Amino acid sequence: MMGQLKTAVIRSDLDIVIARTMARDVAKALGFGAIDQARIATAVSELARNIFLYAGTGNVTVREIDKNARKGIEIVCEDQGPGITNIDLVMQDGYSTSRGMGMGLPGAKRLMDEFNIRSTENVGTTITCRKWRS
Amino acid sequence: MDSLRIPILKIGDILIASIQVALHDASAVQFKDDLLQKIHDTRAKGVIIDLTALDVVDSFIGRLIADITAMAGLMGTRVVLTGLQPAVAITLVELGLELPRVLTALNLEKGLIMMQRLTEESDDGSA
Repeated sequence: MMGQLKTAVIRSDLDIVIARTMARDVAKALGFGAIDQARIATAVSELARNIFLYAGTGNVTVREIDKNARKGIEIVCEDQGPGITNIDLVMQDGYSTSRGMGMGLPGAKRLMDEFNIRSTENVGTTITCRKWRS
Repeated sequence: MDSLRIPILKIGDILIASIQVALHDASAVQFKDDLLQKIHDTRAKGVIIDLTALDVVDSFIGRLIADITAMAGLMGTRVVLTGLQPAVAITLVELGLELPRVLTALNLEKGLIMMQRLTEESDDGSA
């Protein structure tokens, strides 16, 4: 069970719901409470939608993590889309290039404990975020 | 692919839509279009959207609810949102979506009472 991976492929808006349901189920199995389950599911919803809107396709992978006897969940969102040229800009509240409200990335960051973006123009984007069980 | 349709019920001058399943983006947009058309067709004075069954409301659905409220408002119809779970209220505020212009009530029953008061006020105003 330790570190077991679960992956959802994002190809359509239906897959956003599938990815967040998968993340919620894993969070629940790891012992996260109802409010943290909602935070994790909502963050995955935002990140999966970003993949769908900007890259078209990508993967969301969820796994259990363990550090200093503390358990948590790690979510990795990968795409081979256009990449993010200005990460500082997209992390600002209210910045949006699409139909969104610009809450997606900064909102997801606030819902998680750790949040990291690696992106290369025309190569793709990998967002890794973690939440630790209290 | 056909999107899932949310039933919209009419009771007197009020429309009630209870969202029971997780909405994907296309079905959420379909719901907005259906609801605005139904407001027009029925001349409803108020709409109650009940979210009791939803355990996730992300920024897309949050924005859609804000849009529906603004659009219904332009048509002269009030919207009350009911039944937000504690975890949903917490995540919406943490996301940065406080929905300041959206009227809310704890549950459907309180929403109906609120709506009755609102639509009576608007009747007085137009008299």
